[in-house]
Amino acid sequence: MKKTLNINIGNSIIHIEEDAYEALTIYLNDIKAHFARNADDFEIVTDIENRIAEMFREILTGQQKQAIGINDVQQIITQMGTVKDFESSEDEPEQFVPPHTPGVKRLYRDIDNGMVAGVCAGLGHYLDIEARWIRLIALLSILAGGAGILAYLVTWIIIPRAQTRSEKMYMKGEAVNLQGFIRNFQEELENHHLFKQSGTFISEFLSVTGNFLGGTGKVILKITAGFIIFMCGVMLVSAIMTGAVFFGVFDTATNEIFPLSMVNDSYVPWLLLSGFTLIAVPLLALILFSIRVAFNGRPVHRSVSFGLLIIWLFAIGSTAYMVAKTVSDFKEHTEITQVNPLKAYQTYSLELDNYKTFSHQDSITYQIAGTHKGRVILDDDDRPFQEPDNVNIRIEKSLDGKYAVVQTMGANGKTFGDALSNAQAIKYDFLQQDSVLKFSSKPHMDQRTKWRNQEVTLTVKMPVGTSLIISKKLNQYLSSYRSWDCEQVEEKENEPFVEWIMTENGLKCKYEKPGKDQEEH
Amino acid sequence: MIAENTQTQMRKGILEYCVLLIISRGEIYASDIIAELKQARLLVVEGTLYPLLTRLKNNGLLSYNWVESTSGPPRKYYVITELGSTMVQQLDTTWQELSYAIETSKQTKK
Repeated sequence: MKKTLNINIGNSIIHIEEDAYEALTIYLNDIKAHFARNADDFEIVTDIENRIAEMFREILTGQQKQAIGINDVQQIITQMGTVKDFESSEDEPEQFVPPHTPGVKRLYRDIDNGMVAGVCAGLGHYLDIEARWIRLIALLSILAGGAGILAYLVTWIIIPRAQTRSEKMYMKGEAVNLQGFIRNFQEELENHHLFKQSGTFISEFLSVTGNFLGGTGKVILKITAGFIIFMCGVMLVSAIMTGAVFFGVFDTATNEIFPLSMVNDSYVPWLLLSGFTLIAVPLLALILFSIRVAFNGRPVHRSVSFGLLIIWLFAIGSTAYMVAKTVSDFKEHTEITQVNPLKAYQTYSLELDNYKTFSHQDSITYQIAGTHKGRVILDDDDRPFQEPDNVNIRIEKSLDGKYAVVQTMGANGKTFGDALSNAQAIKYDFLQQDSVLKFSSKPHMDQRTKWRNQEVTLTVKMPVGTSLIISKKLNQYLSSYRSWDCEQVEEKENEPFVEWIMTENGLKCKYEKPGKDQEEH
Repeated sequence: MIAENTQTQMRKGILEYCVLLIISRGEIYASDIIAELKQARLLVVEGTLYPLLTRLKNNGLLSYNWVESTSGPPRKYYVITELGSTMVQQLDTTWQELSYAIETSKQTKK
């Protein structure tokens, strides 16, 4: 495809292709320049133009053509003769020397020799430097902060590309006359360079990107696609494995794992299935797409891709439904409060009770009574997939001078009644052994109980003047007065507990570093 | 180079003579002149003819008429003037002399 122009030559309207027009203009300009010395120049040039027009018409009618092409113009120029031929046949003694000064250079992008959009090659022509050095500078500037990319895009947009032959000659600083033209034309034929299609920046950008992907980028694309396929494959396999695990192929107690422990038992298989589909289908699609793009695989059959899409949409729908159902189970929140009075001691110790407590049923199941008698079983607290912290210990000043632990159990539920029964189902025991208070690390619930944001808040009320020795292990359950809130004197620093004293303004560090106090005052 | 120069000079004069001869046979269009010259294997490029025709016309040896054409704009048809006819006769004589000179020169050489 070539652009054509309409020209009026020798009183004839001729369709001519753009490059042919370029060539013709240069040829006629040369002739005009040559005959400018004669008084009758105008007549001669007109004669020549008329004759050219006539030959054009003959070509158009004789060859059933729509437009004059570059080859036709070449043929006419050969037939008509160049200025050089005229010179030798004329008797003027003075030899006309055409101004062979290299013409004015203009800045164009050289897309024939360019790597991306020919900016560097064009600059190379303009500055008379080999393009590779400019490319090197450009690459360095990209590496040094990436400014080069922006600069490249800007210059790409600003600098026009050398599209026509004369523009290309201006770009290289060749004299734009017939000799230069012919040389340029022959060079082009030798290099098999073709005129690129005209278009906007966007289409050029796309075609350049396409060329890049088709050539240099193809290898990179294949490597990337291979990587994507490999990664997706690994993810798919692990998704299948996980699905299998959750479905109880390897382990039946997975329903206790946190995110699933809030879902009703009847939903779990469906949720797992749809969740698996939700992940697996896009992975599969990505794999198929990568194979198709990079390795020219056949496109997936339409019904297959539609089927996958429908399955995926169904999975989204059912997941959303079950998530919404589960969320609705958290609508109401209820709390039950219970006050446990304590005996009066001058000093209380607060400790973490991480002995695992077993129900009577569990004791029988695990045969604890028989084999593990006399030993304690410690609860491993650092399991992954654990439910959020649901034990809070607060320490407050007792207003009525009494010692007490206020135990608040809260839970969510679909209705108020559900929430209340969920809260009632929480069993939490803290132990008082004389002046030692032991707090369990988690509420004790039935195995089948679903997680409904059950939480236990223990408010320890101590009158002013009571000393408190708080184990550092309780830090994660305390809402304030954690061990690091008190900078103890050095000799007490490494003890597993911190000693506090209740004052009018709440707890205060008993053995605080003296330095800190002075800084504050 | 020297030979080339001489050849060019000779060809120039003969080309002019031939063009006048062709036109003296009757009114003729430029491209027909070219066709005839090509047949006579004289003309290399067409472009050379136009300056020549213009020069001959300016010297009063030729004139032209605009003739309507069936395909395209009107065409220049060249005719010979009286001066041109005289010139052709003079040139005929010159050519015979030259031809004789060359023949004799060749024979003498033998």
